[in-house]
Amino acid sequence: MVKEIERAGIPVVHICTVVPISQTVGANRIVPAVAIPHPLGEPSQPAQKEKEIRRKLIDKALEALATEISEQTVFE
Amino acid sequence: MRLEIGKIPIHDVQFDSTSRIEGNILYLNQEELKAHLMVDENIKSITVEIARPGDSTRIIPVKDVIEPRVKVSGRGELFPGTLSKVETVGEGRTNVLKGTAVVTTGKIVGFQEGIIDMSGPGAEYTPFSKLVNVVVVCEPIEGIDQYTHERTLRIAGLKAAAYLGNLAKDIVAEEVETYETYSVKEGIEKFPNLPRVAYVLMLQTQGLLHDTYVYGVDMKQSLTTIIYPTELMDGAIVSGNCVSACDKNTTYHHLNNPVVEDLFKKHGKELNFVGVVITNENVYLEDKERSSDWAAKLVDFLAVDGVIISQEGFGNPDTDLIMNCKKIEAKGIKTVIITDEYAGRDGASQSLADADASADAVVTAGNANMVIELPPMEKVIGHKEVADVIAGGFSGSLKADGSITAELQVIVGATNELGYNKLSAR
Repeated sequence: MVKEIERAGIPVVHICTVVPISQTVGANRIVPAVAIPHPLGEPSQPAQKEKEIRRKLIDKALEALATEISEQTVFE
Repeated sequence: MRLEIGKIPIHDVQFDSTSRIEGNILYLNQEELKAHLMVDENIKSITVEIARPGDSTRIIPVKDVIEPRVKVSGRGELFPGTLSKVETVGEGRTNVLKGTAVVTTGKIVGFQEGIIDMSGPGAEYTPFSKLVNVVVVCEPIEGIDQYTHERTLRIAGLKAAAYLGNLAKDIVAEEVETYETYSVKEGIEKFPNLPRVAYVLMLQTQGLLHDTYVYGVDMKQSLTTIIYPTELMDGAIVSGNCVSACDKNTTYHHLNNPVVEDLFKKHGKELNFVGVVITNENVYLEDKERSSDWAAKLVDFLAVDGVIISQEGFGNPDTDLIMNCKKIEAKGIKTVIITDEYAGRDGASQSLADADASADAVVTAGNANMVIELPPMEKVIGHKEVADVIAGGFSGSLKADGSITAELQVIVGATNELGYNKLSAR
């Protein structure tokens, strides 16, 4: 999906837990996520903290989307 | 560490008033077995059925398959830390009831349990159709959570297998096979010119009912570690998995790991089988990095020339597999990986979710997406309606006549990544 949307000319950020798979399939902008069963959440944390984690990930993804890149880039 | 396996062939299982083994027949007092299992307050009911090779019988949904065994001599008991006290096993003698197994079924725990057909085309795909199976249908009490349900079934299966195994405690087996692993120093002195080979056994530990227990430890909470291969034969590793049936390692698989068997066959002749490294398949990327770092570090520490790596499950564990392969190869150690494929129904898609150029020696156990047709059976043990919801099945899988159209994924052990199956590809 990442590749097809980019093929249509729209940049994509892939928020993904297993970064190596994202790299193998060819995503260009990658933001590492939390864990496979809960990529944007952290059930071990209280709800407020979890919201902060989610917010930070989304902010980072939006930042990545607006960043010029020349090769596959992981936004740690 | 040295273990003798005494093989007691079982040709049939029959219900009787006294549980015993006589003339290769296992006689079973089912009321006694039921009473033995019913002590668990989470169990509402138990029924016991016998499913024989060639029967028009389907078992669905299968939770686990366990081979009955008993310790005759040496430390510890079967399934240490899970069923019996924690004590190191893997030495002395263990009697095994060959040709029979306990199969657990009942109300579905997760959505990833499978099917064993005792005859017809489905039977060809599972090794368990060749055994006389003592099927324990275990129904839980109402309102039980999934984790308690899983543990209840897991323990019931192990208990039933230990109950049957105990019947063979005093039998002197005619066929005895000996397995011995030497210490690092002894091994080098004994076989100075043989290549040193280790086995990296990856265990399914994704959580959410995808778990494996080692001496009672939930393996997702452990670092990668070392185990003697004979410890596996005494039940040190137990399946707590409700993961796709085709490529999960049941407890039976752990007891009869064919990679271990084959390495022992060549041990001292073509190679020196130095031991087993067990590692996990966790859902956090840093766990994957850490565990594969440790797998590479431990095999390097063992000074091996080659490693066989087997995977359990598919999807994100493909990354654990590739990390293990890549990091071990980077130490200058040769690897062969064993996996299976999810290459789409036509087999044309990418087989693994991850790949690397260093994974240049791969054994496949088949394509789990292949669609198969299973004809109706005269008897269904368990709950046939789950055919529509188990992994590999889909809405409409189960037809009105009782036949099933589903992906090969639904068959227990069909694409087992230890190679305990018949499928492969060139």
